[in-house]
Amino acid sequence: MKNLHFLTWVLLALALLPAALFAQQAPITGVVTDAASQEALIGVTVLVKGTSINAQTGVDGRYSIAAPADAVLSFNYVGYAQQEIPVAGKTAVNVALASTTKLNEVVVVGYGTQKRRDLTGAVARIEGDEIVNQPVQTPTQALQGKLAGVQIISDGTPNSQPTVRIRGTGTLLAGANPLYVVDGVQTTDIRNLSNADIASIDVLKDASAAAIYGVRGANGVIIVTTKKGAVGKPTLSYSGTYGFKEAAHLVEMANADQYKSYITDTSPTTTFPTYPGFSGTTNWYKEILKRGTFQNHNLAVSGATDNVRYYFSGNLLQDDGLLVDNRFSRLTVRSNTSFSLSDKVTISSQASYSHANTRDVNIGSAYLDAYRAAPIIPARQGDLFGNTAAYGNVGNPLVDIGKNYNQSSENRLQGNIGVDVRPVEWLTLRSAINVDLNANTRTIYNYQFNNDASTFIIAGGNQFNTTSNLSVMQSNSYRYLWENTATFHKVFGENHDLTVLAGTTTEEGQYTPLYGYRRSVSADPNQWYLNTGDPNTSVVNPYDPNNPDANMLPSKDRRFSVLGRINYSYAGRYLLTANLRYDASSKFASDRRKGVFPSLGLGWVVSDEEFLKDVRGLSFLKLRGSFGRLGNDQIPTNSFVTTADINIPYVINGQPVLGAVISQIKDGQVHWETTTEYDAALEFGFLDNHLTGEVTYYNKRTSSALIPINIPGILGDPDNQLITNAADITNRGVEAALNWRSTIVDNFTYNFGVNATFNQNRIANLNGGQALFAGGNLQTRSDNGQAAGSFYLLNAIGVYQTQDEINSGPKSTFAPKVGDLKYADTNGDGVIDLNDRSYYGSYQPPIYFGINGGINVHNFDLSFVFSGNLKNKVYNAKKQNRYAGTDNVEASFASSRWTAANPSTTNPSTLASSLPNSTYFLESGAYLRLTNVILGYTFPVSSLEKAHLATLRVFLSGQNLFTATKYTGFTPELPGGPLDSGIEAQTYPTSRTLTVGLTANFK
Amino acid sequence: MKPTHFTIVRRAGTAALALSLAVASGCKTFLDVAPQGQLSEEAIKADPAAAQKLVDGVYDALYLSGGFGADVNGFQLVVLSDIASDDADKGSTPSDYNDAANIDNFTATPTNSNVNNVWNGHFQAIARANQALDKIPLSPADASIKNRQLAEVRFLRGYFYFNLVRLFGGVPLLDRVPSVGDVNNPALQTRASAADIYAFIISDLQFAVDNLPAKAGTDVGRANKTAAQAMLAKVYLYQKNYQKAYDLTSAVITSGAYSLYGNYADIWRTVGNNNSESIFEVQTGVNAACNNSALQLYVVAQGPRSGGKYGWSDLGFGFNTPSASLANAYEAGDVRRAGTIIFINPTAPAGQRSTGTVLWDGFRIPSQDSVEGSRFSYKAYHSRTKEPNCGNTDFLPKNIRIMRYAEVLLINAEAAVQLGNTAAATTDLTLVRARAGLAAAAPTLANIWRERRVELAMEHDRFFDLVRQESVQAGRIVPAYAAHGKTFVKGKNEIFPIPQSQIDLSGGVLTQNPGY
Repeated sequence: MKNLHFLTWVLLALALLPAALFAQQAPITGVVTDAASQEALIGVTVLVKGTSINAQTGVDGRYSIAAPADAVLSFNYVGYAQQEIPVAGKTAVNVALASTTKLNEVVVVGYGTQKRRDLTGAVARIEGDEIVNQPVQTPTQALQGKLAGVQIISDGTPNSQPTVRIRGTGTLLAGANPLYVVDGVQTTDIRNLSNADIASIDVLKDASAAAIYGVRGANGVIIVTTKKGAVGKPTLSYSGTYGFKEAAHLVEMANADQYKSYITDTSPTTTFPTYPGFSGTTNWYKEILKRGTFQNHNLAVSGATDNVRYYFSGNLLQDDGLLVDNRFSRLTVRSNTSFSLSDKVTISSQASYSHANTRDVNIGSAYLDAYRAAPIIPARQGDLFGNTAAYGNVGNPLVDIGKNYNQSSENRLQGNIGVDVRPVEWLTLRSAINVDLNANTRTIYNYQFNNDASTFIIAGGNQFNTTSNLSVMQSNSYRYLWENTATFHKVFGENHDLTVLAGTTTEEGQYTPLYGYRRSVSADPNQWYLNTGDPNTSVVNPYDPNNPDANMLPSKDRRFSVLGRINYSYAGRYLLTANLRYDASSKFASDRRKGVFPSLGLGWVVSDEEFLKDVRGLSFLKLRGSFGRLGNDQIPTNSFVTTADINIPYVINGQPVLGAVISQIKDGQVHWETTTEYDAALEFGFLDNHLTGEVTYYNKRTSSALIPINIPGILGDPDNQLITNAADITNRGVEAALNWRSTIVDNFTYNFGVNATFNQNRIANLNGGQALFAGGNLQTRSDNGQAAGSFYLLNAIGVYQTQDEINSGPKSTFAPKVGDLKYADTNGDGVIDLNDRSYYGSYQPPIYFGINGGINVHNFDLSFVFSGNLKNKVYNAKKQNRYAGTDNVEASFASSRWTAANPSTTNPSTLASSLPNSTYFLESGAYLRLTNVILGYTFPVSSLEKAHLATLRVFLSGQNLFTATKYTGFTPELPGGPLDSGIEAQTYPTSRTLTVGLTANFK
Repeated sequence: MKPTHFTIVRRAGTAALALSLAVASGCKTFLDVAPQGQLSEEAIKADPAAAQKLVDGVYDALYLSGGFGADVNGFQLVVLSDIASDDADKGSTPSDYNDAANIDNFTATPTNSNVNNVWNGHFQAIARANQALDKIPLSPADASIKNRQLAEVRFLRGYFYFNLVRLFGGVPLLDRVPSVGDVNNPALQTRASAADIYAFIISDLQFAVDNLPAKAGTDVGRANKTAAQAMLAKVYLYQKNYQKAYDLTSAVITSGAYSLYGNYADIWRTVGNNNSESIFEVQTGVNAACNNSALQLYVVAQGPRSGGKYGWSDLGFGFNTPSASLANAYEAGDVRRAGTIIFINPTAPAGQRSTGTVLWDGFRIPSQDSVEGSRFSYKAYHSRTKEPNCGNTDFLPKNIRIMRYAEVLLINAEAAVQLGNTAAATTDLTLVRARAGLAAAAPTLANIWRERRVELAMEHDRFFDLVRQESVQAGRIVPAYAAHGKTFVKGKNEIFPIPQSQIDLSGGVLTQNPGY
């Protein structure tokens, strides 16, 4: 370890080399950037026209060349239009080159950038302007349907982060989310970012690309780069959207007549309550849902001089969600600056502060209760509520929401400061500190209310709260990451282009939670602090197995890493990338904490070979292949250390005492999960790159995935299980993308693209680990040979039509009656019981895809994105989770259920409570969704002169306007963990959003 | 190049270099991050209070199970000690809780959940004890304090093993914390003989006798020297070592620290918590969160249950109902009958008003037509109105009396009879009977055993006692169960089956008990 730190300060010592030694005399200097991305272009040849004097730009795009004051400089770069610029006495000449092909796109690969054509790994990229126009909070949401191999499962809850799965799910019990890197800050949560601040998002999909992130890279890496100022005078820009959102789809419940007829038939002894003055149907979803406002406003000032670049912005976002009382708002401010102290030293910083306020609603109760509550009871009359609890033991959803206050406030400071030193043209040294600070508070207040005439129209029932109570949860966390890197880049001879990166990183994170609880707190919101209320009911950080919020454990972790990369290309035709990362992590025992993660990628630009030069129509052809190893250490800190559970109660001298217990047996040898991935791809372009595409095959194997093994009870472990590294999981698949881009006539261009991912997820071997049941009602089981989270169910094969059919068939342990579901005797043992459960697919889609396109005609533009899944399954658990015979049913069930008059062969006569898990509740998860459509109009520049505007565009943007699905529930997008995704119990509805937007750049 | 920039860079670089060196020098420990906010070995070494917490955590094992889970002294042990005996029936509705019905009827198989729960609970408790014994020596506290802590834990471990050996015979003997690599070591899974387990229990309890302070020097609720002496005497009684049993109980009696409590019916009520005859009892209470300082569901599982016409807010699930055999075992005038059993009164004939049963706190249970079952345990009753209750009836704070002075007297009497000292036996027996409102009886084994039955009825001892007595004087257990309507198979039903899941997990190293 000491040697590694030695390396750290050797790198820093290099930074101290006096740059003056290498200074040249009276040069013309400048920066060459990509006109679109404003990223520095590396290796641009700068030629003094008519001479052989030339120079090349370095990794930051800077060049320096000695030339007479009247010279003309020629900038030449493969794939970019050549530019010639007269020096005309200036000492600084900055140039933005325009790309002639997407292959010149510069992508961010972690601790550096690369041109797309030089990549040997799988990296996908989205530019910021593709994100900013969508009315969504998180940038990942805007990736949906756009990238092959990247599955986005959206969640309608305001301030939620969509689930991202890159090339399948490679874990069962560890974290499955990708690593996000925001300007160098490594995090798992990017909800603090304003989409308008994002310049680009790069997704590192394969092991060759992500290996530079070692033990954090196994789930893929998403690199977010925020905007920088462009050279020029300060410009002010505004972009904003305003609109509405509503539930994209609702399930129609039985109306009062249907409900009464259903209950009369199935529970004949039920007496219906009468509410004077109410005779209609209560649509409970209408009562608790609303049309919410969505708005997002950004203001930014940016610009750059030779020495200073700056980008300052402010963002306000409001998302009201769909449930009454739900609200979310966020303020983000950002400052991105860089200062060139000389042409050798640059100091840069990116920093953002965000403040978010969320008023959450009790979705778990309210949305479930709205599904169950009888439609024959009024929601409210005046100030009084209909008493659904007295009638059917279902909480009134409006009371669920109104008597519970749940507010969280999140503050986050995220950023970095770094210094880049370029002592010589071919060497860049960088040292940066990245920090991420969080300070969050959640306040939950439960009002006191009685089940009497002060709350309800009719008294009774068990919806009441005898004493008010207040919980306050606070957490603070910080993480710093200190990175030191040296990048060497040189072209030897004509064709040998070599880049070498070496560096060290040091990281520490700490999380400090605090929880407090008191009862009998006044209903006045100004009193909702822990100094009020009954001190005898005060609880601070209790041990309570039933309240996960109260069991927040503090944690602290550290990492030390050494990283290295070699990029070599011969004539831009033969490409090699090799990564090596060494990681040491405090999360594991000292003899298990060190690991090495290598990768190797090779590429061959076949179209540059002589034998393909003259093939008509072929513009580009590249073969690439890679191998790499990655780790996943998203497991709790100290998983290997034996610790005592604390605050274990006993009573001594009549007074409570708090003991401690060492009970959990831990595997001291626990370590990260390791993923090994092979990847082979063909990239091509035809017809002058009008048609481009890519086909990739990948094969990922996660070995030593965490899994519990059963251990004998004599060891005294409470769950008789030991979590250890045993299971193997594979994800194999093919990704394909095809894009067409063309101009028909001037002012009429269009593009069209499709992408699809075929992924097969399997648990290859549990190696003695236990198959895992999961889901609210244990609907899934993850076992050998199955996909993670496979539905494990009885096969519902129909409805018993006659008593003879029951008597003559295999004996059922479920005591069936005529009109009940009939299950298959899958194992053929003559008895229908839970042993007949089998596997019926999983939520993980074997195929997911996106379709996108756009047309520009004169000043109008139209673009759209479709996304979808095929062949996956979802489980309609809310339909199964019936608690009482008086619970409402769906209208479609009320009309199509089995009755003697309507002998249905698919729907039973009643949905009894505690029906076993069966395929009756399993439905296709396939869907096709118009994820986003935008229609825009850009005002002609000539019309803007008087308004002091440089550009002005107005647009309409719609999110999720249309969905085609056979699923009968609210939404087939059902995020969850690796083991329990795809189960709809009380999922927040997916929203449909329509906004108008405006972007303007002021002169 | 302007020199100022170099100065800045050099200074920044020097600062970074210094910081880097600082990190490098601390590098050896940089990655050793102790668990935050959790008690780890390091914290135990540093904090003298930490070892005491581990001791208290072993006491907490007495709260296991939550009703239907891994169990030490909760409802699962009730099933295997009372329901399994001739003192009680399963109770509740006939179809409710089939596993307990199988225990009641001696039809339990190795997959029975009660035996697995009690197996797991006791081994969890033993693991806690072993962990505490492993860590207490690390504590910076005085040796005398550590010795007392070790003795408390060994007292409890001895008690846990005493239950296990009575329930299952020989079991795997874990006397230390096994290493994780040993989890599937066959040597660990092999059953020790019952004799070895008894020897181990005796060594634990003898250590406790030698190192625990007397009652006067002990917090209420902690094991003291007397508790260890009494428990060890009971173990020796099971070993038929009557001299040791006699000596130990005589020491307790002559110490004069304990005496019989006046009102028998109050012994198991809150007013009788830690009363003058209580030698060791599970301590319960209410805490602010109202969720854990008691045996979950212990009271509710045994509480009177509504049935028939229903129509009242009942008190529980109605398990562990005292048997007719027990009700008939009391002599006329024995106050213990009414102190042990809640009798449900028959429904009055049509036209007359039923009186129901009014409990000591005024709670009225309706008569038989609205109640499931006709007898309930009064010792397991906890008043919702007159006794502490924080609002969560799952955690009603009922102290469980594990050892009381009356039993010490009866052990002393039995040992004395076996040693031919009838005078001492008469004294003991007369004391116990006088408190119950009964005249003296002859100091015979049969009389002492009948006295044990009615004195300790519904206190989770009867099944073990029946099996023990049979080993002293054969020929009584089968008729006793026959009178209770059950068939006891000798050579099998003395102990319960080893849980099949544990045999499976041991890879077959654990062997099954005969007859299962």
